[in-house]
Amino acid sequence: MVEPREIILNALKEERRKLLEHEALELIKAYGAPIADAGLAKTPEEAGDLAEKMGFPVVLKIVSPDISHKSDVGGVIVGVNSKEEAIEASKKIIENVSKNVPSARITGILVQKMAKKGLEIIIGGLRDNIFGPVVMFGLGGIFVEVLKDVSFRVAPISYEDAYEMMKEIKSAKLLEGYRGQPPVDKKAIADIIIAVAKLLEENPEVDSVDLNPVIAYPDGAVVVDARVILKQ
Amino acid sequence: MIEKFFNPNSVAIVGASPKPGKVGNVILANFKKRFKGRIYPVNPKHEEIMGLKCYPSIKDLPETPDLVVIAIPAPKVPQVLRDAGEKGVKATIIITGGFRETGTEEGRRLEEEIVKISREYSIRILGPNCLGIYDNWSGVDTFFLPDEKMMRPPKGKISFISQSGAFASALLDWMAYRNIGISRAISYGNKIDVDDVDLLDFLANDDKTGLIIMYLEGLKPGRGRLFIEKAREVVQKKPIVIYKAGKTSRGSTAAASHTAALAGNYSIYKAAIKQAGLIEAMSFDEIMDLSKILLTQPLMKGRKVYVVTDAGGVGVMLTDALTTEGFLLPRSPADLKEELRKVLPPHCIVENPIDLTGDTDDDRYKVVLDILLPRDDVDAVVVGALPQVPGITSKLADYLAEARKYGKPIIAISIGSKEAEKFKDLLEDKGIPVFESPERAARALRALYLYSKIRGVARE
Repeated sequence: MVEPREIILNALKEERRKLLEHEALELIKAYGAPIADAGLAKTPEEAGDLAEKMGFPVVLKIVSPDISHKSDVGGVIVGVNSKEEAIEASKKIIENVSKNVPSARITGILVQKMAKKGLEIIIGGLRDNIFGPVVMFGLGGIFVEVLKDVSFRVAPISYEDAYEMMKEIKSAKLLEGYRGQPPVDKKAIADIIIAVAKLLEENPEVDSVDLNPVIAYPDGAVVVDARVILKQ
Repeated sequence: MIEKFFNPNSVAIVGASPKPGKVGNVILANFKKRFKGRIYPVNPKHEEIMGLKCYPSIKDLPETPDLVVIAIPAPKVPQVLRDAGEKGVKATIIITGGFRETGTEEGRRLEEEIVKISREYSIRILGPNCLGIYDNWSGVDTFFLPDEKMMRPPKGKISFISQSGAFASALLDWMAYRNIGISRAISYGNKIDVDDVDLLDFLANDDKTGLIIMYLEGLKPGRGRLFIEKAREVVQKKPIVIYKAGKTSRGSTAAASHTAALAGNYSIYKAAIKQAGLIEAMSFDEIMDLSKILLTQPLMKGRKVYVVTDAGGVGVMLTDALTTEGFLLPRSPADLKEELRKVLPPHCIVENPIDLTGDTDDDRYKVVLDILLPRDDVDAVVVGALPQVPGITSKLADYLAEARKYGKPIIAISIGSKEAEKFKDLLEDKGIPVFESPERAARALRALYLYSKIRGVARE
């Protein structure tokens, strides 16, 4: 298990403002947020082994300090179902990236267990120059992209605050389940919001955190994608 | 520590002037009119102003004044501040503009210089670039607007902190015209030192302040969390109504992450306002609507509201407005209906909203209020009293005032012309807030409910 401070200090040493995919996931995991099982592979063969160990299906993502929109450069392949497929897909990703962004340094391939379907939410945090650490909650997809239906709190926050953040958004009813779905696990979501607040409080170098998406289930929630930006 | 800004025994006015229209002239005249302590005009060009001995500099004063008001051009301020420091002055109000707000290098440099001097001598500064303080008790009045341009409000329980000087003077003038009382008003301008947190701290323990209104554009960097903590303490003693100006997003400046892009300036303030337990007014009208209900009405225990009206239509409008704001308008229980039927003519409607109909007199209101208000299942009563109805007289105002003895919120709405205005004044004099529309009444009552929750009186 990596120490959270080490991850951040290492990135700063290498003058990277954005943590690499696996670093961001490790960091958030160190603060107690459950993440979709993931590992970094250095070669396509390693990716195949990792995927097999993890169990299928998996998703493969390019890890590079020079790429922030992975899908746009052919750096993500989802629904990988066997070791052979994982090796092939890894090669394909490296090929795509080398072609589309020839200058990009490639750290490796992130192999991640595909999360089951659930309710997509976004949990974020940022450091405001007036209020300090602030956390955000919203529903993923169009709710955040189009409707900007999100709520904020200034850290430190209590569980009560976290529950209120969930109640405050306009689409709060979706958390209660619809079309016969049971309600999502709000305690699990609150745990992650509080983890983000704590991460920001304890690491003054962190400028912002995006957990997008986090998939929420009737029983638990899991962070699928994490982006952590450090201060300049 | 900032007590001396409000209650000085002596004050020096640097830049005092005999020339009408000059800032230093208006301020000196203000102090002469209402301030009971010793006044020292400071201006090297004069030996006497308005019959007071004038001094060439602060150093020449016969004593160390508790407060120094500075109203001279910005470039001369650092030297005056230094003189004040040497003299042992601990509180200054710098009215002068021409500092950081100009956006110029010179302005920024001057501001940094006065910050440095104030630290060196530990002088507290209010301002610069502000109107300063209007204190209705001590007579400190640095608002450099003459009485005939800005009326001074009567003494009252409201204190007002404003980031905008112009808005502060407009609101004071507006309140004065409507006979709404004020305790202390503060415009802090660039707030290089004394800021919202200090002022809240002072007003929290000020027994002459029952409610605080804040007009806020922005806090100083790094002061946000302290502001929330301080405000949380204050609102357990008295309500704070805040109007946050500048609600538009800071837009493209922070697009490094999704969260930063979504976090407009206002969305974080909105969260902070909630966390701090402040009551947010969303418009100018609301500032006063919310203030008057919070200042006059007891806290409410729950959300059950009864409407008593002389006009069915107003009853329906109130039902919609109150329900929209989250209130419950319970159907009158059987025992209540029975009781009301006994005392009301048969054509009156005993279902909530209770309609006394157009032929009502004052007494119907009285009997209904005496039945409703003692009940455990009634948390507040909204009275719709259209004064166009012939049977309504000034006696109704007395009845409503009397009903305050039940310790529950009573508010009224009155729509119309002269009679309605007269009725409103009559009621408000007796501590019953009157609103001009059902929607405004409902919004105000919601603020009272919110504050009752903050104080732990109302449960969910």
